[in-house]
Amino acid sequence: MIAMANNEASRLVLRKDVAELKRLAGWIEGFTRKRTSPDVSFAVQLCLEEAVANIIMYGGARDDPLEIAVELERNGGNLVARIEDNGRQLDPTLEEAKVGDVGIHLMRSFASGMDYERRDGRNRLTLRFLEPAVPPAE
Amino acid sequence: MDISVDDLAGGITKVALRGRFDTTGAVVVELPFNKIATEKQKIMVDLSAVNFLASYGIRVLLVGAKIVKNNGGNLVILCPDNNVAKVLKTAGMDALIPIHQSEAAATAALAS
Repeated sequence: MIAMANNEASRLVLRKDVAELKRLAGWIEGFTRKRTSPDVSFAVQLCLEEAVANIIMYGGARDDPLEIAVELERNGGNLVARIEDNGRQLDPTLEEAKVGDVGIHLMRSFASGMDYERRDGRNRLTLRFLEPAVPPAE
Repeated sequence: MDISVDDLAGGITKVALRGRFDTTGAVVVELPFNKIATEKQKIMVDLSAVNFLASYGIRVLLVGAKIVKNNGGNLVILCPDNNVAKVLKTAGMDALIPIHQSEAAATAALAS
């Protein structure tokens, strides 16, 4: 069975460097391994890779001290991912979002829900992932 | 991420990728993959051992397929029905590059 502790959260801060995507992937895998189904783990890894890669590649000028904070929280049977950065406005929920459009399309398809907010000069993206109705046996 | 190349019967080149085909992995295989796409005519890209695929990986596959097509060749993907296949389909790749679930089907597609 999947471990059923109710609320657990973890936070990771990344720099504006493509090499950080590897650290992100390892961190997500560590968090989701015992807490979600393999399908949800895959979806979380895909959506966060796309979102963070977009921020790293398009979110700031060359010398900006861009900081990206990623938070994962398991809430009951579901998982919530929050990404916050101080780069330029990037709203993947916009219909006309064109930057990295395959990636944005994948995020919309693999996440159960997605909200964006621009506040105090920061992008705040929230992604939700729902476990399938019947959790797979381990 | 690893890339290996095998020559099969009928002039088919099998390119097997292994590992995470994410941004980090795609950067590693992009150049060798493009080189094979430039040199070979019938290419089967085996994604059976790829356990993760993101948009940068998709871009590498698309660019490779375009190179092969421009040279008058064919490129097909071999991928079992899993999350990687779901990414390919969600991205609309099945409309651009033929995707097969078995090596026999991929071989037949390249032979025709």
